[in-house]
Amino acid sequence: MNLYDLIVKKIKDIQGAGDDAAITNMSTSSMLTAEITLISSILVALVMLRMVSKILMIVAVLVVLLAALVAMPLMPRFKNEQNDSMAAMMFYVMLALAIVITLFYWGNLNV
Amino acid sequence: MVIDVQIASLFTAVSLIIIGIFAAAFLDNLIKKVIGLAFIGDGVNLFLIAMGYKPGGIVYIYLPGMAAEWFSQNAAYPLPFAMVLTSIVIGASTMAVMLGIIIVLYKKRGSLSAKEILGE
Amino acid sequence: MNLLIPLMVIVPILCALFLNLLHKKDRTIKTIAIFLALVLPALPILANYGLHYFGGYAPLIENPTLSNNLPSLITGTALNTFHPAITYSFQSAQKIFVFILGLVGLLAVFTSLFETRRPSGVYGYMMFMGIAAVTAILLTDDIFNLYVFFEIAALATVGIVLVSNVKGNYETALKYMILGSIAAPLLLLGIALLLGVTGNVNITDIIYSLKNGLVNPQNPVLLMACGLIVFGWLYGSGLPPFHTIKSAIYSKALPSGAALIQAFSVFIFIALGIIILRIFSYLPFSQWVILGVSLLAMILGITMAIVQTDIKRMIGFLAVGELGYIGIGLGLGTAFGITAGLFQAVNEAIITAFLFIGFGTVLYQTRVSDTRKLGGMMARNPVVALLVLLAGFAMAGVPPLNAFQSKLMLIQASINAGFPELGVIMILLSIVTFMTFMKAFHAVFLRPKPADLEFKNENIPKATIIALVVFMVVCIVFGLFPQVVTSYLQPLATSLAGGIV
Repeated sequence: MNLYDLIVKKIKDIQGAGDDAAITNMSTSSMLTAEITLISSILVALVMLRMVSKILMIVAVLVVLLAALVAMPLMPRFKNEQNDSMAAMMFYVMLALAIVITLFYWGNLNV
Repeated sequence: MVIDVQIASLFTAVSLIIIGIFAAAFLDNLIKKVIGLAFIGDGVNLFLIAMGYKPGGIVYIYLPGMAAEWFSQNAAYPLPFAMVLTSIVIGASTMAVMLGIIIVLYKKRGSLSAKEILGE
Repeated sequence: MNLLIPLMVIVPILCALFLNLLHKKDRTIKTIAIFLALVLPALPILANYGLHYFGGYAPLIENPTLSNNLPSLITGTALNTFHPAITYSFQSAQKIFVFILGLVGLLAVFTSLFETRRPSGVYGYMMFMGIAAVTAILLTDDIFNLYVFFEIAALATVGIVLVSNVKGNYETALKYMILGSIAAPLLLLGIALLLGVTGNVNITDIIYSLKNGLVNPQNPVLLMACGLIVFGWLYGSGLPPFHTIKSAIYSKALPSGAALIQAFSVFIFIALGIIILRIFSYLPFSQWVILGVSLLAMILGITMAIVQTDIKRMIGFLAVGELGYIGIGLGLGTAFGITAGLFQAVNEAIITAFLFIGFGTVLYQTRVSDTRKLGGMMARNPVVALLVLLAGFAMAGVPPLNAFQSKLMLIQASINAGFPELGVIMILLSIVTFMTFMKAFHAVFLRPKPADLEFKNENIPKATIIALVVFMVVCIVFGLFPQVVTSYLQPLATSLAGGIV
């Protein structure tokens, strides 16, 4: 499917519940570990926002914590996202290119 | 309205790059993707050449009988042209390898569609 | 002029060309490959520090016979100090980097000659060309020369994947080349923007122009150039968003080839990272970007590694995750941090190569790389199992092995720089790395052999065991005496942190 349909499908997947594929015992422990690692590293990394403003940090940590708890099985979705298909990789490359160029071009105004 | 040569070249180069990125990302046929990638390389090479532009500049070959100071004031900047030659060769070899891989994939899978071959 | 400096690039290129010509003459290929691969780590030890100007064109300031005849329009300005030739710079940091690359290359070539049925001249060509390209990337002081060898290294990587006869390698190689043909011309566009603003491609001269006010450092064109060069750097080193294709490339190559390709990624990472720091460190924003990308690489790489079932993809994602540690060291910007990051790079190249070749023995014997289908390998090869266990301990940072020293330095550097959160994340991810490795080790070596597992080759070649023992010795030596490496890295780190060239 082309890039546009892929984007629409992705948004629908993020909103809806993930597919409940059966996971064996060995995979379950890996998924749980990956889940805990992902959420805790993101929360600790957000604490670094204390250099920008302390209130922003508290708000961001609480918001991300609540969002993660609501959308809890994050890791299966992350794993499906980072697959080998050309369309998915191309989407992320274009996204990264857009972010890098925008950040560098407008970033000098603030720093 | 006369547009400056350098600005026109830069504008063309950037349009070539954008068209190339669009083709490589959105078109399904593998050969069309490779043509898009060739466009990106051509756009960047044109950009490089446009960096060496000098209004009213002469070709940078120092013939006997030229005054050194007049030559250094008037010659176009030769470095980008040397760089572009190397860049064209690199682009050609990369295209060759990619097309070779596509030939082998076509023989194995019988299709040129990126969805089928590269999609899984 | 020290003639050994260009020889470090010319010798592997000549070796590659000979091996390709002599494809199918097994004995000659083995002799030439082993002899020249032994020369590779020896050359940087024998060479003296210094600069090498290709063609002998020294800057005018060092060439009074030529500059006396020129008008003061040229000799009275900065043009007098600019470098007209392609310059290779060989200092203490380059010595240790080229030595480690040569060592990994030697052991990878050695392993590949004995693990395949017949030594392949074409495979040797790809490996030596890649080593030559990455050596040139480490040595060069000219940013366009770096782009040329960057593309050659990408082509050599694709070549290594194509020659390994793994299922699905052609598709992966094509995807890598398509993504590369978008990212590499954008890197060239960034170089073109730098050329347009400063008029130079020599990095020392660009820095001179920026520091001495010949161009405006806050020019938005320069910021765009920085962004594009950072994007090209993301592709070359395998940071997100290119981490999935890089780990796919590692999984579709033979283990010796994968060990070499990951060394290429690590050294391209540090070479381009050092150049970005040298040119653009006056922008505080560039350090934040390096820190952010490295953090993302660490988190995404290691979380993806835990959930993999194929050994090669697991080690591939772990390799991407460990790149993040190096980037945090570089992004911190202090001399201690940069030394720690570069030391981590040296260790990572060795440890990941050790892991690939170690787990590669399992592939050599069974041709299966799925952890769900393997088991019982410890009963067959206790020596290899012990060596692979030590490699896993090394990667996770268990003392007294080398990654413990570099990770400890990184955590101390991040706390000293005022970012204790980074230290916490690094410790957390090291624990998870250890867990991932132990899970794979248990699945492959410790649990009982499944009934339907067959062995295609009975004995592991002695060459592979020798290679693993050499890696282990290097890990232990660097772990017990880290100052052996850090003493070489400190001069570069101090000059980078101080903002001097």
